Amino acid sequence: MTMSSTPTLMARHRAPYGDLAMALLVIASLVAIPYVVESRYLLGQVILALFYATIASQWNLLFGFAGVFSLAQMAIFGFGGYATAMLCVYFGWNIWPALPVGAVAAVVFSLLIGLACLRLAGVYVALLTLAIAQALYLLIVTDTECFRMVGSACRQFTGGAVGFARFGDFGTRALFRAKWLVGNYAIVSVLFGFTMLCTYGIVKSPIGLAFRALKDNPGYAVARGVNRFQSQLLVFGVSAFFTGLAGGFYAAHFQAISPGILSLSQLLFIIAATVVGGIGTFWGPLVGTVVLMVADEAMRETGEYRTLGLGLIITAAIILMPNGLIGRLGDVVGWARKRFAAKAPSLSATQ
Amino acid sequence: MSASTLIAILTAGLTNGAVYALATIGLSLVWGSLGMLNMAHGALLTLGGYAAYTVVTTYGLPAPVGFVGGIAAGALAGAILYGAVVKHLLKQPSETFETNVLIATVGIGIALENTILLVYGGQPFRQPTSMDGLLRIGVTSVPVQDIVIILVSLLMMGVVGWILARTRMGRAIRATAQNREAAQLMGVPIRRVYLQVLMLAGALAGICGVLVSSITQLSPSLGGDPMLKAFIMCVIAGLGNLPGAVASAFGLALIEAFVQFGAGARWGFPVLLLIVILVLIWRPTGLFGRAAIRRL
Amino acid sequence: MPETLALVLTGITSGYAGPAVLTDVSLSVGRGQLITVVGPNGHGKTTLLKTISGLVRLRGGRIDLEGKSIAGLAPDVIAARGVAHVPQGDLLFPQMSVEENLLMGAYAERAKSVIAERLDEVFVRLPKLAERRKQIASTLSGGERRMVGIGRGLMMGGRVLLIDEPSLGLAPLIIEQIYLVIADLKASGRSILLVEENPARVVDLADSIHLLDNGAIVWSGPPAELMARDELLATYLGG
Repeated sequence: MTMSSTPTLMARHRAPYGDLAMALLVIASLVAIPYVVESRYLLGQVILALFYATIASQWNLLFGFAGVFSLAQMAIFGFGGYATAMLCVYFGWNIWPALPVGAVAAVVFSLLIGLACLRLAGVYVALLTLAIAQALYLLIVTDTECFRMVGSACRQFTGGAVGFARFGDFGTRALFRAKWLVGNYAIVSVLFGFTMLCTYGIVKSPIGLAFRALKDNPGYAVARGVNRFQSQLLVFGVSAFFTGLAGGFYAAHFQAISPGILSLSQLLFIIAATVVGGIGTFWGPLVGTVVLMVADEAMRETGEYRTLGLGLIITAAIILMPNGLIGRLGDVVGWARKRFAAKAPSLSATQ
Repeated sequence: MSASTLIAILTAGLTNGAVYALATIGLSLVWGSLGMLNMAHGALLTLGGYAAYTVVTTYGLPAPVGFVGGIAAGALAGAILYGAVVKHLLKQPSETFETNVLIATVGIGIALENTILLVYGGQPFRQPTSMDGLLRIGVTSVPVQDIVIILVSLLMMGVVGWILARTRMGRAIRATAQNREAAQLMGVPIRRVYLQVLMLAGALAGICGVLVSSITQLSPSLGGDPMLKAFIMCVIAGLGNLPGAVASAFGLALIEAFVQFGAGARWGFPVLLLIVILVLIWRPTGLFGRAAIRRL
Repeated sequence: MPETLALVLTGITSGYAGPAVLTDVSLSVGRGQLITVVGPNGHGKTTLLKTISGLVRLRGGRIDLEGKSIAGLAPDVIAARGVAHVPQGDLLFPQMSVEENLLMGAYAERAKSVIAERLDEVFVRLPKLAERRKQIASTLSGGERRMVGIGRGLMMGGRVLLIDEPSLGLAPLIIEQIYLVIADLKASGRSILLVEENPARVVDLADSIHLLDNGAIVWSGPPAELMARDELLATYLGG
């Protein structure tokens, strides 16, 4: 009784030309943006959008494809960022070697969470991952114990409510001088492209098929020898790698990291982007992020109503278009095909 | 440890346990009958606390009326949640209901919390719906409000138990929780049952919010902490298991009180979480065995 | 003569998402009659009963209960109008006692005296349930559960009783007991629509049999005639 209109199924039957065309469009846009966008603020927002799209794509990999409803996504992102920053702060590392190590640290962290949570049924995963993420946030924010002195100021081991700053950057400032932001943009674009490429590979691989089987028909998949726990743990680790890596790049780009990124509203934005774009669709998180960032910019005038608007957008989106904008697009295409086929039956017969 | 310290810790543990138990019951009741995790539950708590504040401060009415105001605001919000969100999501394919309703209520929770922030501002208030004074117990004394909280909470648990066990509405709620299709065949209008459950849970959240704010302070993020604690209590007890929810609420709250006394306030929640995770490694189906779970 | 007919289905079509399960099914249950629908599993027997009680959406056709249309109404309204559905596999409320399960059957009835009367009648017809009154339903044996299911249906006090495969999963001896109860119910004047896989069980009981195959009625007639038609039995019911 699976609904034939669910996006996961659509993606299975669709030829890859659509994905290829979309990929070319995205690459073309990414190349064009620094030539078109002159405002530093706007370019900064595009970089931020790329970070959000990267995180959202990994949350989507976890939930939309593997069926793990984890609310620890920002915690893993933050863990990667903090690990990278702390390697630089406490061991004097350069940012570049610290990035992959930070990502691996995020993987280890995620595997610990996964071992604790993934044997539980779906809704309990949500409860426990949220609790873990909040515990991490609270531990950092309430940390007041002196670990070291910076000048005359006392600094905590976790950075406390302030976090860490000025522990190094990509090296773009030294290299490109005034054009450093474009350099950062290029680096973050490569991160985004690399992540999307790997994610596509995972989704289309036998592992990806196993995940989809688990989501669509757990009983059957398990009977065919797919180990639910191991598969989910694997995808949890993979998604944590890219999420943690993005966390490190985030810290390096802003040259700062603070517990604010662990807050619930950040997680909310990631979920909203995925929901609006289309859960379980490959391009959904990117589309959703772009739409929400534009909406957010438009709501900037309304100032304090932004969070309220975001909350209502999430709820309205899930009620009105549970398959997201991509799903809506699929509905429209399907409807158009039907119309077309009805008007010219001979054409559909030759297909 | 002196006797007065022990009494202080026990009082704190039991008071918090009473609050957590009310929050947990509300979550668990909704899960048990609708299969819905209400992520807006914390915001409903906050709403109840502020409603009581407004009734007493703005309209100058006595504290018991403020209490009723908190209950009414919670129940009304529960009804709106049903009409505006849950009713529509129930029409979608049932496989996606569980996650979709979770995401939708996350949105509602954030929107509600933000609305309260916009209306009342971020600065904390004192909850006027409370009782002052101390009660002497032997060598020491405990705040009267703590006793009030424990008594009100026990009373509410009794009321919920009575409704579920003895009334026609309660029997319909349990029937719907245990077998939705059969309940429909017996003539139970399940949509009305859902509405009743959400109103009941909203009312419980409203009461809980008034009680929580009376021992802390009113702030827009008031409900976040009790909801988070209620979450892990649900993980231990199993969602839908009301007696288990009460037991784990009091048990974990007492542990939390001792940890906070011994290691400092910030370690309370992390230690609880660690205990929950260890329990899950020991018994992956929860403390009471989720396979043989009692649904309401 | 509509007043002698308890339930009339006229050309009903219904199903879940996707293609229709039932197409153009017509049958009627006269007052005091026991009508049986037989057919292989997975060919729409349960869907037929679920369509009548409103659990499956009716796509076309009419359903009349004692001359009034109940088509398109919500399941709880249909139940309150007087369709008592004893579902396949009992669907008891597992954590409730036998008595609570029975009382749920009378949910739509508010008069305490009527409820007490019906409860007495159920305990007379199914004395085993009086013994098990306080026992939790999930701890009962299969036969006892079936009796609770039927008893709960009787508590609804409906104008027509729908019974879905009362023999499913039971030992032959228990099946015999259950059919004695059903015969008893027919003798008391109830109008019954019964779904069964094996027509042999209802030969002496049914006023008429409909053979449902692939969502459509392929043969109708008296039970004795069906049992004499070996080719029908072989084709549709595997001998």
